[in-house]
Amino acid sequence: MVRNGFKRQVEARMDHEAAQLEKQHVHDVYESTARYLSDLQGKAWPRVRQFLQDQEPGSLIADIGCGTGKYLKVNSQVYTLGCDYCGPLVEIARSRGCEVMVCDNLNLPFRDQGFDAIISIGVIHHFSTKQRRIRAIKEMARVLVPGGQLMIYVWAMEQKNRHFEKQDVLVPWNRALCSRLLSESSQPGRKKQCGHLERSHPYHPPCSMCSCSVCFKERRDSKRSHSVDYEPVRARTCCANISKEAGEENGFYHTLGKSFRSWFCSRSLDESSLRKQIERVRPLKNTEGWATSTISIQPSRHSSLDRDPQEPFSTREPSSDEDVFVESSQKHLEWLRAPATVKHLRGDHQGETGRNGGGDCLGSTHTPEECAAAGALGEGKPSAPRTLRRISTVDSTDSTPDDTIPVEGQQPDVLDSRAFMRYYHVFREGELCGLLRENVSELHILSSGNDHGNWCIIAEKKETCD
Amino acid sequence: MKLLTHNLLSSHVRGVGPRGFPLRLEATEVRVIPVEFNPDFVARMIPKVEWAALLEAADHLHLAEVPKGPTQGYEQDETFLRKMHHVLLEVEVVEGTLQCPESGRVFPITRGIPNMLLNEEETET
Repeated sequence: MVRNGFKRQVEARMDHEAAQLEKQHVHDVYESTARYLSDLQGKAWPRVRQFLQDQEPGSLIADIGCGTGKYLKVNSQVYTLGCDYCGPLVEIARSRGCEVMVCDNLNLPFRDQGFDAIISIGVIHHFSTKQRRIRAIKEMARVLVPGGQLMIYVWAMEQKNRHFEKQDVLVPWNRALCSRLLSESSQPGRKKQCGHLERSHPYHPPCSMCSCSVCFKERRDSKRSHSVDYEPVRARTCCANISKEAGEENGFYHTLGKSFRSWFCSRSLDESSLRKQIERVRPLKNTEGWATSTISIQPSRHSSLDRDPQEPFSTREPSSDEDVFVESSQKHLEWLRAPATVKHLRGDHQGETGRNGGGDCLGSTHTPEECAAAGALGEGKPSAPRTLRRISTVDSTDSTPDDTIPVEGQQPDVLDSRAFMRYYHVFREGELCGLLRENVSELHILSSGNDHGNWCIIAEKKETCD
Repeated sequence: MKLLTHNLLSSHVRGVGPRGFPLRLEATEVRVIPVEFNPDFVARMIPKVEWAALLEAADHLHLAEVPKGPTQGYEQDETFLRKMHHVLLEVEVVEGTLQCPESGRVFPITRGIPNMLLNEEETET
């Protein structure tokens, strides 16, 4: 049927776009920064360690998304194979004597039912569409023996002391920031220093391995939220590796680096909305990269930006706390009005086509000015700058980014560093369970909960009936 | 890459399915890395091994003295277990290739690390 063929094309296009997004905001970032990670290995999450230690001796275990191999030697009585998409990370794990390989979670190169247990720690949240997240989980279920267990950790949207505005976020980190914070505070008793100061290009992924004082301070102040990656540290903007010149053929990233404290209105990259977007999108001026969704970029601190005099609001003064996430009480708004070459990531409207502001440039051919003018309503009429309220939203479609800051007017990044932005789809409470229940019937959920800002699940592969 | 790992690997080239197992192993550099012998561990691994695949791989590496299958009472047979320990865990392919028996697609092993990534075209569903 014509309709089915069209539907397939749209799906294929969406999947391709999703892959592009992940390439730029997951894979390339890890790859560029891997070399700095070995020094920043944090401790393993205790509950993950426990899960591994609970496995029967002689078990075959896969760590899908093993990174530098933090979990691969937790239990010497089992055979643990580490897999990661990122070659450099895998090399690091290898250098530590681990058995590892490079592969793709979406197409696991294993025969069916080979593993007794699998862990997926801080991985699924890097997939940018629901379909891909499901596919990743189904792949892991496929290679599990019946009765085998799967543990999944993903970053939670609900964080104790901060809020993600949206579920789909780009989290940057900033080297200069981190260095400054490190020098400002010290953590007695902390064994690991992230060594930012010594490095010329220190890099720290948000939260993870960063034994960064930023993170520590956070920790002190709150039950750390999150970090799923390697360390129980909140994802925050830590050190940025500015050397990644927007080899980014992309003006987008270049600009982003400069006006780093701004963020876009975000939307979920859900299939239905994405589909609508793709069906509507006109050819891009600059076809590189992902240009069809709007994703929230969590600001780092030092939000002050040079602003146009017309801006009705003032920027927040940098606080002493690096603040990646929106404070629920804040009312300021920083909007990035990108130049024409900027890609606007667009996302899911869920039917609320008008609602999203500046960041949501519906037509890729809109200039940023047009986008800004169109305002949140996407109705094409200019609107006066409005105050963007940074409120946490439960519904990812709620946000109404109101204002934009002209990038052209920006000073070079005050922090004089670029940021690597990593993409995350942060999960709402119940979302991961729901995802398994509705889409992965071969798995039965044994337990679920929250561990330091991560939603965790342990599921079991059902016995086959034939 | 150890032979126990090889035993789990299968080609995921589109359309190949179960015919992607086992991957044909060739090696240009092989190393033997001593690993502490844990008889209980090895004994538990035995039922999980796909023997034909193991024998084929061992053959391609020209390994000698590879048991053809589990012996009666293998759990207590130390000689058997030591041989299996060696084959499964101590032989490392440092440089080599893994070839899909169905599609012919070759995956490299470099510095002991197999790279199983496919291009987008190869995996499109």
